[in-house]
Amino acid sequence: MHDSLRSLLRHRKAAVGGSLLLFFLLLALVGPWFVMDPSELVGRPHQPPSSAHWFGTTGQGQDVLAQTVVGARETLAVGFAVGALVTLVGALVGVTAGYLGRRVDDVLSLTTNVFLVIPGMPLAIVLGAYLPSGPLRMVAVLTVAGWAWNARVFRAESLALRGRDFVSAAVVTGESHARIVSRELLPNMASLLGSSFIGNTLYAVGAQVGLEFLGLGDVSAVTWGTNLYWAGNDAALLTRSWWIFVPTGLGIALVGFALTLVSSAIDELTNPALRVHKPAPLPRGTTLPVHVDRPAPGVLLSVQDLCIDYATEKGASRVVDTVSFDLAPGEVFGLAGESGSGKSTIGSALLGLLPSSARVTQGRILFNGMDVTALEGAGLRAFRWRQVSMVFQSAMSALNPVLTLGEQFHDTLAAHGRVSRTASYARARELLGMVGLSPDLVTAYPHQLSGGMRQRVGIALALALEPRLVIMDEPTTALDVVVQKELLQRMLELKQRLGFAILFITHDLPLLLALSDRVGILQGGKLVEVNTSEGLRTGARHPYTQLLLSSFPHLVAGDVSVTPHPPAVSELSVARPSTRIAAIPGGHR
Amino acid sequence: MGRYIFRRLGFYLIAAWASLTLNFVIPRLAPGDPASAMFARFKGKVQPEAMTALKAAFGFTDAPLYSQYFTYLKHLLQGDLGMSYAYFPARVTEVIGTGLMWTVALAGVAVIISFALGSFLGVLAAWNRGGWLDSGLSPALAFLGAFPYFWLAMLALYLFGFVLGWFPLRHAYGHDMEPGLTFAFAADVARHAVLPAASIVVATLGGWMLGMRNTMVTTLGTDSIRLAHARGLPPRQVMLRYAARNALLPNVTSFGMAVGFVLSGSLLTEIVFSYPGTGYLLILAVRNQDYPLMQGLFLVITLAVLAANFAVDLICLWLDPRTRAHA
Repeated sequence: MHDSLRSLLRHRKAAVGGSLLLFFLLLALVGPWFVMDPSELVGRPHQPPSSAHWFGTTGQGQDVLAQTVVGARETLAVGFAVGALVTLVGALVGVTAGYLGRRVDDVLSLTTNVFLVIPGMPLAIVLGAYLPSGPLRMVAVLTVAGWAWNARVFRAESLALRGRDFVSAAVVTGESHARIVSRELLPNMASLLGSSFIGNTLYAVGAQVGLEFLGLGDVSAVTWGTNLYWAGNDAALLTRSWWIFVPTGLGIALVGFALTLVSSAIDELTNPALRVHKPAPLPRGTTLPVHVDRPAPGVLLSVQDLCIDYATEKGASRVVDTVSFDLAPGEVFGLAGESGSGKSTIGSALLGLLPSSARVTQGRILFNGMDVTALEGAGLRAFRWRQVSMVFQSAMSALNPVLTLGEQFHDTLAAHGRVSRTASYARARELLGMVGLSPDLVTAYPHQLSGGMRQRVGIALALALEPRLVIMDEPTTALDVVVQKELLQRMLELKQRLGFAILFITHDLPLLLALSDRVGILQGGKLVEVNTSEGLRTGARHPYTQLLLSSFPHLVAGDVSVTPHPPAVSELSVARPSTRIAAIPGGHR
Repeated sequence: MGRYIFRRLGFYLIAAWASLTLNFVIPRLAPGDPASAMFARFKGKVQPEAMTALKAAFGFTDAPLYSQYFTYLKHLLQGDLGMSYAYFPARVTEVIGTGLMWTVALAGVAVIISFALGSFLGVLAAWNRGGWLDSGLSPALAFLGAFPYFWLAMLALYLFGFVLGWFPLRHAYGHDMEPGLTFAFAADVARHAVLPAASIVVATLGGWMLGMRNTMVTTLGTDSIRLAHARGLPPRQVMLRYAARNALLPNVTSFGMAVGFVLSGSLLTEIVFSYPGTGYLLILAVRNQDYPLMQGLFLVITLAVLAANFAVDLICLWLDPRTRAHA
């Protein structure tokens, strides 16, 4: 809580917005004592700004400066009052609906949604026309017309919180509803309450000024809205008296802008994804021209002294540290390591897919002798997918939900050469068949497929251009055991047939040992050991590798994967499901 | 899919019924018997017998509330909104008819331009994150968006109407024009619509841009975009077909919700330009205490907003295959 307050103060938008708001609050509070009586006729009408009247005079001869300053008072008072009331009503209705659920929710949600679609201004105008005049009328009308939006937001939030463990726990222990709402729900909605209050005040100021401009306020009071009402009535435009309506408009806009800044600062602090990062620029070791070495014989990919830094607010942080390894054509190379060890970052770098905050600061990635890190623009796009493709961990969510599979295959093929839609679809059907899916799925959308099917589509897509290397970044982590096994088996069969190499990235060392020809162990961004699977299993040298292996006792103890159905597998599959893959024939050579 | 449309339709029917009922209840809840005040204005203008008939026509009788309510509903179903006091003896439906056309044309065009342009700018701002569009134009538009619509309208009218004289000052077409399907008339209508429409566009552009920018930023962070890049797709295709196409969905939904809000603002803009739409009529009705016209307008505007919302629902359905399937 204190931390978030402190970061709010440090935030630039919050600082600018907050100071502007403070200025206007002070103006509204003490300003009226320093200016003339805003209603008194102090000069000739329609006088431009002068030393006597800094902002000129109105159509009746009142001081515009005085009207602007005094007008701030009631406008802001009503604005904040309505802002608070609307937040309160909205939160009350929304939390009740979201927390109690069922019938209560049905009724309250329906009411909320109905009020949400009824346009606010006409409702406010009609209500206002019937109610007796006064500031209370304004508060009532604006609250009735504006509560629904909040109720909806608070309902969604309390529904989300209601499903969380700590609330369920409180319900199970039999705490009273009132206690759960006040102790568990509301404290977790503090930032939402804050940003809603700001947003509602913004609405209230705008709507209030609009209604008063129409003459639906108390036209004898001095507020920003009535100032504009009189400006319109006294023909400010016709007499070219811009000074009558400009100061008030600027006041309204500045208050509105300040409120917007504060609320967007709150949003950004609670949702950091929206922030624009401006990390310290990273030095590029040396800018290398794209150069092509003669590839060493039998080497497809050569990663040499690769260093990758992430820019953080505290300076550069090295996530990949002088990593070197080679990969032969048709080889299966495994990269193992815990999350944060840099393994996925290496995978991204191979395709030039590093996020903007990350940079290769040293070393080279040679693919067939060509330095991938120096590729840019069209050259990089031509390289991607045709030479190296990738199966994502989240292929399930990586497909575009609004395009059919056929369209996504077509986009891929068309990006790498002119191809007709008919030809693309034919190729897509062939590829889908290859991974064991019905070719008719070309017309399906991703959401119509199960997770395992979508991952197969991911593989089919990766093979579309027959690349020489396929990176598989935790491709099976989200799948259940049976699906996982089938998928990897299929992948290895296709590899035999098409002859591509695989860079397999996972935290699952036993799986890697079963699949790969060679395995590299990553720890804290450093490649601590590279060896054949056989060599690692029998004689791991680095203490970290030994530690990793010892967490899977069965594998070190005996050679699980040579027998097709080892007795240990069933036991293992309970403890660690993915080791079942060890039973894949041909998975280990 | 049919079921989804059916359910939405059901919801809008309930909403329509709720606004009809509000329309019935508000005048009767109000203190000081505005109904009598309203009929007091007819006194002397119509015969006492006609007065009784009028009261009956408006549903204000001595009958119990529920029977007044049913009379009111019956009249509505017959498309009878009563008579306007200010435009007596014109029927409310006639008065509203022309006004609604102008409002729908003006606000409709302005809102669509603003949404399309704002969303496109938002896409560009998110794509070139931290660029001049993102860090320069967005705050500038946010600042413009903080001005009340009608104030921007006043300023536009002042600068381009009164001072520079580039555009006409009021109304939807010149007094010397003969309304009809002629090119000259259309051009004149367009010239009259420029300032009101532009002030609505300027006031709302920033909101659409920011909304689209934010959903776009979220979308750009997803694996679906990384995969698109990894496949070597051209940047423009990734931006439009993969990112913007998906980021658009939540914004279309919020577009539906904002229709009523924007319409409210455009009503005020109409008043600044004396544009003969429903907003201008509404405020004239309030000033003349023409309650039947006022309530008729409220009802018609609300129903128009409900229809617009339903249209947006259908567009969402068409845009998103997932809702199409679940619906």
